[in-house]
Amino acid sequence: MKLNLTVISLVLVAAVSFGLYQLSYEVQGLEKDLRSLSKNISENKESIRILKAEWTYQNRPDVLQALSSKYLPLLLIAPYQVASVGDVPYPQVDPEQYSVPVPRHNPRRDHSPATPLPKGPIQLATFTYEGHLQ
Amino acid sequence: MSELTWSTKSSRPRITLTPSLGQKYPDDSHMALRLEGSAKETLEQGRNRLVMAGVIFAFCFVILAGRLVGLAISGIGGEETVASDVDAPPPVAITESKRAEIKDRNGVLLATTLTTASLFAEPQKVIDAKDVAARLTTVLDDMSEAAIVSKLASAKNFVWLKRNLTPTQQYQINALGIPGLHFREEEKRFYPMGALVSHVMGFTDVDNHGIAGVEKYFDAQLGGSDERAAQELTLSLDVRIQHALRDELSRHMSIFRAIGAAGMVMDVKTGEILGMASLPDFDPNRPGDFSGDAKFNRISLGVYEMGSTFKTFTTAMALDMGVVGLKGGYDATEPIRKAGFRIRDDHPKKRWLSVPEIYMYSSNIGAAKMADDVGPKKHKAFLAKLGLLEKPSLEIPELGAPILPPRWNSLETMTISFGHGLSVSPLQLSAGIAAIVNGGNYINPTVIQREEGKMTAVRQVISTKTSDTMRRLMRLVVEKGTGGKAAATGYLVGGKTGTAEKAIGGRYKRDALIASFVSAFPMNDPRYVVFAMLDEPKGNAQTHGFRSAGWTAAPIVGRLISRIGPILSIQPVDEESEAVQKAMFIPINSREKKLASF
Repeated sequence: MKLNLTVISLVLVAAVSFGLYQLSYEVQGLEKDLRSLSKNISENKESIRILKAEWTYQNRPDVLQALSSKYLPLLLIAPYQVASVGDVPYPQVDPEQYSVPVPRHNPRRDHSPATPLPKGPIQLATFTYEGHLQ
Repeated sequence: MSELTWSTKSSRPRITLTPSLGQKYPDDSHMALRLEGSAKETLEQGRNRLVMAGVIFAFCFVILAGRLVGLAISGIGGEETVASDVDAPPPVAITESKRAEIKDRNGVLLATTLTTASLFAEPQKVIDAKDVAARLTTVLDDMSEAAIVSKLASAKNFVWLKRNLTPTQQYQINALGIPGLHFREEEKRFYPMGALVSHVMGFTDVDNHGIAGVEKYFDAQLGGSDERAAQELTLSLDVRIQHALRDELSRHMSIFRAIGAAGMVMDVKTGEILGMASLPDFDPNRPGDFSGDAKFNRISLGVYEMGSTFKTFTTAMALDMGVVGLKGGYDATEPIRKAGFRIRDDHPKKRWLSVPEIYMYSSNIGAAKMADDVGPKKHKAFLAKLGLLEKPSLEIPELGAPILPPRWNSLETMTISFGHGLSVSPLQLSAGIAAIVNGGNYINPTVIQREEGKMTAVRQVISTKTSDTMRRLMRLVVEKGTGGKAAATGYLVGGKTGTAEKAIGGRYKRDALIASFVSAFPMNDPRYVVFAMLDEPKGNAQTHGFRSAGWTAAPIVGRLISRIGPILSIQPVDEESEAVQKAMFIPINSREKKLASF
């Protein structure tokens, strides 16, 4: 019994101290990770600042104006070019187009093809070498 | 045989003699060996000492255990920061300590802080100064070899070679691999827009402290402090409008060979300034390279006698106070002679002029008589309500106070009625015009973006009805009067020209003019006030030699409005349409004799 107690407590001490050291090293590792991550974040933030400044610098209005006058055939917007959606007219309907009588029935509805459709599942239309619809 | 063992059962130490097998003790299974005398005393003492030591150790371990439990629960707060302080400064703090960014109303970056490398040398450790200088000049082409050699020859342990290198330069110098040269990271304020927003922005000194413009006014907010983090700033400016304004001003400044130009665009309903430019201007990235004249803000710091634009205030005052109606008028046949002064018209009509005619033909005589009818006291009070008699409020330190006449009597009222004798800044004039056209409410101008519906206190200056009349009158000036060149088709521009002679050394100089044009658009529901001014413009062949505002300043406004109208999403209208004509109609009530009546 006494021997058991001693052995158990020894094993316990060993286990706890191993666990503790493990934890300690793990924490140290995590702290290191954290430091490198924060360093990365601050470096990235700095890069973003620089890139934003660079982007704004490259997009200065006078530069854009010079480029657009060089490459784009755009002029100032004249007042007549501005309109609201309501001002856009509907497309004109040509009365001639609708004077042709529309057949009541689809004329091909009762049409039976000269060559009967192949049996089996429906096939997709393909072109033959001669270019005829098969 | 019997063996000796310690028994812990009894309170007293006792040696038991376990009898050997086979022996029988009927009365007691234990046979105690009792020690007496000095032996017992010694044993007692040893036992006490042992117990004492045990208690002390137990106490210590309990404390340790308690501390462990405590640490496990609360964590190692204090020690953590100390530990990380030793390893590296917390990086988050570096970002927060940077001076905050400034943006325009659309989020375009106007000012930011970048970390740059600065090159310094330890001259004691530099081996061959001449060789180092020769190699450095291949990278730093703006530095001479002799300058570097003289710097490296100093006896000090530390000498700056070049501040704020570009990343490429830093890389190249690093690649040279010269011993004794080191980099130090420094912060540099960077303005990507360069000279575009120079005057509003201001600039900072080497230590990143604002010393002009909003950089100075909001220095505490931008820089932050120990208690408060640096906070970014959103200006009311719009870079696109600012660019259009500066572009048109600089173009016309060179066309008319003016020594300076200024202009601004302001929202009449919120008081936000969308564009404010003063030429010549400077690059805030290197303010040291520019003269004081370039840093002078003609819009807010410069005060000028603005000339005929003041007739807008005079007319509004007379109409609002009911001194004269639209049908009334004054005789402008003869110049006024008063106290040795002669008030005359530039383009005399030599007849009776109605109020709309006085305004559209810009008659000094008519305006002077109108103001005289109102009286000096009321005139002064009215201009004070428009904020023209005291320093305006704006979020930049460069603000000029108006120059008032030493006394304000009938003569002064007459001259001020057409804009002479009282010097105000263009900023004050624009704010006053905004109040005239927006329905009569004076709103403090601002360069900071105002939230919708979060307005500063306004004061009613004129009635809504008078404001409506003034809109029509200003439209009349552009439609039929002196400001014809400001017409931007479709945007219903209305405005007033102002040509004033510059007072230099107490005398008016005939050949030095301030030509200005103040306008608002669209006149059926004014949204923006646009102001443009040229300092000492000269006439050219295209203007037939004229230098007056109608020829020089008005075209700036016309071109500018047709450029910024679409940006500000103003719907153009057909100016010839009946509805618009009706909305802008004003009876002129002229008594001019038409040729047909002969």
